[in-house]
Amino acid sequence: MIEIRDLSFEYQTGKPVLHDINLSIKKGEWVTILGHNGSGKSTLSKLIVGLLKPKTGSVVVDGLTLSHDTVHAIRRKVGIVFQNPDNQFVGVTVRDDIAFGLENLQVPREDMIERIERFAQKVGMTEFLNKEPHALSGGQKQRVAIAGILAMDTDVIIFDEATSMLDPKGRRMIVDYMRQLNREGVTILTITHDMKEAVLSDRIVILKEGKILLDDQAELVLNNRDMLEQSNLELLLPLRVRHALKERGLKHPELEALLWASSSNK
Amino acid sequence: MGIKFEQVNYAYRGPDGQKYLALANINLPIGETGEFITLIGETGSGKTTLVQHMNALLVPDTGSVTVLGVKVTKEAVAKKRIKLNPIRKKVGLVFQFPEYQLFEETVLKDIIFGPKNFGVPEAEAKALAHELIKVVGLDESYLSRSPFNLSGGEKKRVSIAGILAMEPDILILDEPTSGLDPMGRDELLTVFNRIHTTLNKTIILITHDMNTVYRYAKRALVMRSGYLVYDGDPQALFSRKNIENWNLETPDLLALQQLISSELGFKFPHTAKTEEDLLTMLEAVIA
Repeated sequence: MIEIRDLSFEYQTGKPVLHDINLSIKKGEWVTILGHNGSGKSTLSKLIVGLLKPKTGSVVVDGLTLSHDTVHAIRRKVGIVFQNPDNQFVGVTVRDDIAFGLENLQVPREDMIERIERFAQKVGMTEFLNKEPHALSGGQKQRVAIAGILAMDTDVIIFDEATSMLDPKGRRMIVDYMRQLNREGVTILTITHDMKEAVLSDRIVILKEGKILLDDQAELVLNNRDMLEQSNLELLLPLRVRHALKERGLKHPELEALLWASSSNK
Repeated sequence: MGIKFEQVNYAYRGPDGQKYLALANINLPIGETGEFITLIGETGSGKTTLVQHMNALLVPDTGSVTVLGVKVTKEAVAKKRIKLNPIRKKVGLVFQFPEYQLFEETVLKDIIFGPKNFGVPEAEAKALAHELIKVVGLDESYLSRSPFNLSGGEKKRVSIAGILAMEPDILILDEPTSGLDPMGRDELLTVFNRIHTTLNKTIILITHDMNTVYRYAKRALVMRSGYLVYDGDPQALFSRKNIENWNLETPDLLALQQLISSELGFKFPHTAKTEEDLLTMLEAVIA
C-alpha cells in the first residue's frame, strides 16, 4: 500500500531529520511508528501525504509515486488526523467541516449530503452536525476529523499523535475507532510514543534520530527493553515488573504469564 | 492562606452569544507552601478556567478569590481598587502551549524577559537564568540558542524556566507533559517534584495522566461540568467506585496490583504507591 524508498529529508542543509528510510506497509496492516520527541516521526507522516518534499528518495502509495502531479490523488487515498484537534477545523459547523474535503473533490451535492450523514453517524456525531466545532470536546473534534477523512473514502489513515492531547475518555474513543477501522480493512499508521497504543498494532517501527532503529512484530518490539530505553521510551508496566522480577532471580510462572498476557491485546 | 476561592461562579460567552457555566459555587483553600496538587477532569470541565482565577487572569462573576492576601472580586477589579500585576508575579502560570509564547532571539533573553519587566536588574536576571536553565534539566549552552530551533520538550522547559525566573510563590502548570515522550515526561515531573521538595513551593498541575496523579500528588482535585466534585487524597480517589463517571481511569500500578490479586489470589499488605513498592511486596509473596 505504501512503499518508502531511501527517503531523506532536512529542514536545514546538513542537518538531516530523516535519513535513508525504507519502509513498506501492506494493505490492511496496522503499523505504529514509535520514537522520542524530535526523532522525525511526524516529519515522516508529512512526507507521506506530500506536505513536505523529500530531499532524496520516493514515496509510492497504491502504485502512485508521490509528485506534484499525484499529490492530490494520493491525499484521496491517505488521510491524516493531527495532534491538536483545534488546528484542523476550517468549517463554521461540523457539517461544513466534513463537507470541506468533499467539496475539494467536487463530489456532487446529493452524494455529498448522503456521505456527510453516513459518516457523521458512523463516528456518533450526527446530533452535532449543525454545532460549531468550538463547542465540542477534544475527542469529539478528533471524531469529526475522522469522519471527514472517511467521507473521502481513503484507504489509509495516519493518526499523528492524534490522542496525545485528549482526556482518557477521548483517547479511548479514538482508539476504539482505530480498531474498528482496521477490522474493516483500513490500513492504519499510528505515530505515537504511547506504548498502550502501540500494543494494538501488528508491527512497530522505532525511529531514532531520523533512522529506523528497529522494525518488527509488535510483541517482539514491546519486550525489547534495550531498544525502547535507547529511544526515550519505556516498557509497559507489566513487562517492566516482569523484567525486574527476573533480575531479582524470582520465579513464578503463573505471575510471569499473567504479566505477559496483560500487556498484549491479542 | 495562599489562595482561597469563596462561592465563585463564572460563565463565559461563546461566539454564538450563549452563556456557558464554567465554574459553579467553588469553595477551595490552597496552602501558600508545601502543596502538590493535581487538577483533573474531562475536557471542558473547567480546569483551565479555575487556574486562570488563581492569578487573576480571570475574575469571578460572583464570589471572591483571595490570592496571597489580595481579595479579587469583580467589583474590586472594575473600580481598580486592587493591583493585579503583583499577583501575576507571585502566582506563576505556565500555559498549555508555553512554546507558543517564546518570541525572543535567544533562550537567555526569553528567560530574563519577565524578571526585567518586573524591575529586576539585568545582571541579576542573567545570573538567575544561568541557574534556572539547569533546574529545568538543560545545560547552559542552551542560553545562546534560538528558542525556535528547540524540540517541543525543550521549549516547554525554557518557558518553565521563564516563569521560575519571576520567582513565583506558587507555580501552576496547565498540562505541562502532554505530547512529551515518556523520558521527557518523567524528567519534567522530576523537575517539578524537586522544586516542590527543595523550595517547599506549592505546585498545581493540570493533567490527564492518572499515573502522574497517583505517583506525585499529595492532593487531587476533580472538576466536572464546572463543579469541584472531589478534593482529597489521590489514593482514596482511585479506590472509589464511581471514577469512570468522572471520566477518570485507574492508574496502571493500581490496576496491575488489583489484577494480580484477583487472578492469582496474592494477598498484599497495602496498596502500592510506587513500582518499587509493588516489587518488594511481590518478592515477599513469592519467597
